[in-house]
Amino acid sequence: MDSSPQDRFSQHIARILGWRRVRIVLPVCVLFMILFSFTWEAGYRVLIGRLLFFGFAGLFAFGLFEQWPRRLPGWLARWALQVVAVAITMPLAVWIGYSLTNIGLDPPWWQDQGRLAGFATFTFLCLLLAPWMAVIALLKQIRNDASNQALSFELERSEYEKQALNARLRLLQAQVEPHFLFNTLANVRELVTTGSPRAASVLDSLIAYLRVAVPRINQPTATMGQELELVRAYLEVMHMRMADRLTFTLHADETTHTLMCPPMTLLTLVENAMRHGIDPSEVGGSIDVRVWIEVKRCHASVIDTGIGLGHNTMLANEGLGTGLTNLRERLALAFGGDASLQLSENKPHGACAEISFPAMVNKT
Amino acid sequence: MQAQTALIADDEPLLRESLQRMLAQMWPELKVVAVVRNGRAAVESFESLRPDICFLDVHMPGLSGIEAARFIGRRAHIVFVTAYDKYAVQAFDQGALDYLVKPVELARLTDTVARLKVRLNVAQHNAHTDELLEQISARIYKQAAPAYVRWLRVSVGQALRVVSTDEVDFIRAEDKYTLIAWHGQAGELNEGLVRTPLKELLAQLDPEQFVQAHRAIVVNLRAISQVLRGDNETATIHLKSRNDVLAVSRTFLHQFKMM
Repeated sequence: MDSSPQDRFSQHIARILGWRRVRIVLPVCVLFMILFSFTWEAGYRVLIGRLLFFGFAGLFAFGLFEQWPRRLPGWLARWALQVVAVAITMPLAVWIGYSLTNIGLDPPWWQDQGRLAGFATFTFLCLLLAPWMAVIALLKQIRNDASNQALSFELERSEYEKQALNARLRLLQAQVEPHFLFNTLANVRELVTTGSPRAASVLDSLIAYLRVAVPRINQPTATMGQELELVRAYLEVMHMRMADRLTFTLHADETTHTLMCPPMTLLTLVENAMRHGIDPSEVGGSIDVRVWIEVKRCHASVIDTGIGLGHNTMLANEGLGTGLTNLRERLALAFGGDASLQLSENKPHGACAEISFPAMVNKT
Repeated sequence: MQAQTALIADDEPLLRESLQRMLAQMWPELKVVAVVRNGRAAVESFESLRPDICFLDVHMPGLSGIEAARFIGRRAHIVFVTAYDKYAVQAFDQGALDYLVKPVELARLTDTVARLKVRLNVAQHNAHTDELLEQISARIYKQAAPAYVRWLRVSVGQALRVVSTDEVDFIRAEDKYTLIAWHGQAGELNEGLVRTPLKELLAQLDPEQFVQAHRAIVVNLRAISQVLRGDNETATIHLKSRNDVLAVSRTFLHQFKMM
């Protein structure tokens, strides 16, 4: 906070004389006024003035040591300091209160039996009551803090759950674009009509793709092996559709197949390369997928030789990287921030997407 | 009567073959004179072959079907071909344009062929206008048409080439024409002419990309490899893909100072 010292001072004062505290102190003062009024001989104004003065003196001591000094030595608890400060303040306040209301009296008020008795009564009552009020106030504050903290934990957790749910929903919505499906079916129909022997294998790839890509709600995790199958099916379908513009390779160590991999992770990268790299390019290019383990982390890279990041005009409107933004979110939720996703330029043209996350064997 | 001719443009080979095969079946007299794989090739083939009908896939790399249709203008009947897309279909319906939805159904193609035959007989071309195509493009691609010219029609001898502004290296004012120097996707160097005067052309290009270097020279900033400062407030521009060295005159030097 960069407020001026003046602002900070008024903030402190506002906290010391908070309305919730004044609301407690005032009724107590009023209660005492009523009790004393039965035996009071001097003016009521003096009584009211004194009691309010004592009340606020205690309140001020309580609030002052709540904030000052800013740091306390380890052996001294703040609550103890506050209670002791209140206990010391009360007799002082009573003494000052009596002196102020009896200025110029001769002999001085402490030689007057009646006034001395009044002083003793006030001191006794204040000492009896004020530190206890301080303790009760402190206890109440601790309880408030605890429930506030519980509330903010609860809020944080529900926020996290909402994020996870949103990421999941977006994943489900992103599935199987009609554009992709109908274009692919148009291709398959041509193969079937002309009696091409490729028809069956292409249809198999499409089925393999759809089996995974059609949303299944209760499948939070998958293995890298499944993911690689999905990517291969997708790339085979796309290769059938644009044989003259797309080539691809898939390289994955055998050991990576059993690793845990959030669903659609690799596919999102490959679809992104297809959509923003190869598809907008008149000459097309290649997509190379690699998966490997290095220092207990699973790494995957998808490199394309397509149009590249800078020249994207055709699909820029669809938001280059909304797919990747969503993927980053899903990875963060799955690995609690221990995953990375990077997109860089590939030379001489194209893009390179790389992810890494902890290598964990999927036991389910 | 002379046989009707047609052009088919689609980026997916099987779908090109599919449409060609279906047309041969439905309309045997129709002569398909060109089957091409993108919008740029469609426009170039159109210019040299002048078919009566153009079947244009909407979604093609580089020059889209919609952009190609704007270049072809009213010189041919255009039939758009699109994969299922709610926005596209709505837009075409509202614009009263001929379109086919992939996978193309025979019944639908029969209707289209019948309509085309009628139109060809009365020599009445379909009603697409630049404005309409722009609206459709905006609906399909969910963005306004780019404010600047992105494709140039360049004459090379008798042939017409469609050049992306990204491929242009520099532009030079000649006597009656303006010379466009560009590199192809395989790195080959080309030069051709447009009729638009340099000044007029410059006004239509993206000022972030095209900058005047000299009274008669405009250069594509992305094509520059380096700018070397010379004596006496001059500089020379060296290009990535060709050996030409362009001079920067004093008037325009400030535009290259930060390079």
